[in-house]
Amino acid sequence: MARSRALPARGGVFITGDSPLVMEYASECERARIATTVRVNSGSPAKTLSTRGRAQRVPSSCSIAVELTNTSLDTKQKNLRELSRRLAPGRPILTSASTVCVAEQSQWLTPPRQLIGIAALPGLLQGRLVELSPGEGTGSAVLAEAQEFCRKLGKEWALVQDSPGMVMPRILCMLVNEAYFALGERTAEPSDIDTAMRLGTNYPRGPMEWGERIGLTQVCAVLDGLWRYFGEDRYRTAPLLRRLAGASARER
Amino acid sequence: MGATVGVIGAGTMGRGIAQVAACAGLEVLLHDISAEALRDASLRIASEVRSNAARGHFPEDQVATALARIHPRRALHELAESDIIIEAAAEDLELKKELFRSLDRFARPHTILATNTSSLSVTALASLTHVPASVVGMHFFNPPMRMRLVEIVRTGRTSDETIKRTSDFARMMGKTPIICNDHPGFVVNRIARPFYGEALRLLGEGVSTVEEIDRIVRLSGDFRMGPFELMDLIGIDVNYAVTQSVYERSFFEPRFRPHPIQRQMVEAGMLGRKSGKGFYSYG
Repeated sequence: MARSRALPARGGVFITGDSPLVMEYASECERARIATTVRVNSGSPAKTLSTRGRAQRVPSSCSIAVELTNTSLDTKQKNLRELSRRLAPGRPILTSASTVCVAEQSQWLTPPRQLIGIAALPGLLQGRLVELSPGEGTGSAVLAEAQEFCRKLGKEWALVQDSPGMVMPRILCMLVNEAYFALGERTAEPSDIDTAMRLGTNYPRGPMEWGERIGLTQVCAVLDGLWRYFGEDRYRTAPLLRRLAGASARER
Repeated sequence: MGATVGVIGAGTMGRGIAQVAACAGLEVLLHDISAEALRDASLRIASEVRSNAARGHFPEDQVATALARIHPRRALHELAESDIIIEAAAEDLELKKELFRSLDRFARPHTILATNTSSLSVTALASLTHVPASVVGMHFFNPPMRMRLVEIVRTGRTSDETIKRTSDFARMMGKTPIICNDHPGFVVNRIARPFYGEALRLLGEGVSTVEEIDRIVRLSGDFRMGPFELMDLIGIDVNYAVTQSVYERSFFEPRFRPHPIQRQMVEAGMLGRKSGKGFYSYG
């Protein structure tokens, strides 16, 4: 594993969270020539980051931070509190709202921070658009900086109201969940499920393929967040999805 | 001599299936109780095949042969010589039950009895016959000429041979078969539910708007169409009916619960593209 390089110049981005998301965001930043420092959550598998800066502590010099933990509320809380302490006041913190809404995340932080929710899910940064949802106390200047960050990444943005899972993660994970219910009930074989959805509804990918791309642990995390927030049976995870997510976590 | 396909019902689906089969080189016996429906179907099929040929989608010199393969039949028993009979009558359980009881009386033992139902129980129809091993679901998508998928639906009593032969027929017709069990909504209509259901809830909760949700789904998820554009295309009434059917047939599983917005749109006569207004305005 590569050791940390010198910290990036002032004005860089610090990215922390679940490793697949950190990797994806870091490589997009690198492609956009944005100075980037990363730290993946411990317990989250770290691939080699040969060309990127790594840091154990949050560099206070960075101008924007991105928190991408979906799989553990505890870790997310710790990361956000640290970012909140280390980052100069008024610097934007983009935080994944795929599993927990921005309002709830804001309550973890004293003094309050200007948070902007982002719909982070592995694979989604390949799309042309990112969803943002500014928290209650987030001012327009901070939001403008977050939008500038998106623009540098070459992405459009859509502003949505604060809600866990935002738009795309919620819809996608529910599609994957339904496919796993069907699979668990032996409605059809996995490859037939994907073929059916691609040809029958013109989806760009089948739900099983989406599930693999996103990662089943991430899918469960989004569904758990919806279930926790809405308290509705419709968001319970398919038993097979839960079992396979556990198996893939152990494998890692 | 090619295989013979019997098609019951000359409505949108029956007509489309007949056209697909005839263009693929199969003999078609097309039945409808209404002489007018049969005449109308023949005219529409002829005009569609000709326009396909004009656009280069079908060989010009085969138009007449293909059309000559479709034989209108006023009496149901005239379908007896078919290798497979595809029932594509209206989505009404009593009507389909009556048809399957009749088919059971005259169909040859080796004839596959398929139903194109999207929401009724294939199992219930199979149990009305003496040959449940030969009864299968064959769910084509609308419009049958353009949609490549066919869901081959197996009941607990459908034989492996029936599944294999039905899949072969689907392939002969240029379609891609997938095999599934007789569960509510089969595969597509079931797994697609959250695509609409969650979008409607997001709209209802005020998380985003129709236009923005569609834009996000297209640009972030790479889908060809957003959920609201797609509902407008399918028909909001049709989409609502499918949702209701899957919901009811699953004993009110909360994941499939329809949304009040859907009912309200239907009540308002805002059915999508076909009515000029749905989630968007047209024309």
